[in-house]
Amino acid sequence: MRRCIFVIALSTLLTSSSARAHHGAASIYDMSKETTIKATVTEFVWTNPHVELGISPSGGTTTELLLELGSPPNIRNRGWTSRTVKTGDVVTVTFHPGLRGAKIGVVVKMITVDGKELHA
Amino acid sequence: MIRAVIALSAAAVLSAVAGCSKPAAAPAAPAHPDLSGSWVRPLGDKEVGELPPIGEIPLTPSALAKLKAERPAAGENQDFANTTDPSLRYADPNGYPRISLHPMRFKLVQTNDYVYQLWEYNQNWRQIALNVAQDPDPAITWYGNAVGKWDGDTLVVDSVGYKDSTWLDARGLPHTQDLHLVERIHRVGANLAFDITFEDPGAFTKPWTAHLIFKPSPDGSMSENIYTISDELRFRERFLNQKVNIPIRR
Repeated sequence: MRRCIFVIALSTLLTSSSARAHHGAASIYDMSKETTIKATVTEFVWTNPHVELGISPSGGTTTELLLELGSPPNIRNRGWTSRTVKTGDVVTVTFHPGLRGAKIGVVVKMITVDGKELHA
Repeated sequence: MIRAVIALSAAAVLSAVAGCSKPAAAPAAPAHPDLSGSWVRPLGDKEVGELPPIGEIPLTPSALAKLKAERPAAGENQDFANTTDPSLRYADPNGYPRISLHPMRFKLVQTNDYVYQLWEYNQNWRQIALNVAQDPDPAITWYGNAVGKWDGDTLVVDSVGYKDSTWLDARGLPHTQDLHLVERIHRVGANLAFDITFEDPGAFTKPWTAHLIFKPSPDGSMSENIYTISDELRFRERFLNQKVNIPIRR
């Protein structure tokens, strides 16, 4: 049975981001907006230049939104490890969305399955 | 009374003889300050300094034209998707001093003959050979040929032999293979200061100086953070939807 996942919040906020985004963030993400959704993790790749988090807001198994975090050592300093999340976890993630409707984003923070809030 | 005078005289003679038998102490070697440790320029920290604004750097006409033709990944004239930044386009080493402007840490290790600067980013490093003459015909390298000597509490580093394809910073500030840096590295309280003078007749009409401050890193451990062209191509295909000319690493 397909897991029922709800988008619990879709908010647009003016914000001063603390996210450590990839080079060129301003040209590919709307850094003035934050979106928060609950979604299923489809992939979590501990790689350079930036760790990748694939999610499916509809609860599926394929990546519908591809999000980037900081570089591995930077987010490790903020409490993340390669085992922080795994495929199938349901997480609440806040991110700056891609410009021009691109299905990408840069993570600001995430609440893990056990309720831990981590900033990226 | 006479007995007391004799006793005092004997004591004085014995003391003098004892003093003569001790070799004179050698002058103490000059103690150099300890620059070792892990250092960082925290992101957003206003105290750590930057290279000067472009308008304050005395660029030659050719260097200015080269700068204007570049497309950095961020800031003024940014074009992330089509950047000419060699550290992104080709994942080239940052070169010096750009790598020290990166927000990751570096570690300084001091020995009697060398000072080693170990950057966490890409595990790049350079050695500063102490008390030797600069090579008049150095190899052309990413991180140059650096020699150093102590001037009181300051380590003075002279370096040449820099590959001209690197940018001096993320704005695209150019240089030629004639770049000559003189750095004065010294402690300022708990921090470490690098006063860097840039000389390069092909790029600058006169020498200019930058002042950078590094703060002690609370965590002395160094992590691996190696970034390669396959990492960049993967990112570009996945996040920018760009076609890449080699299969990306999965």
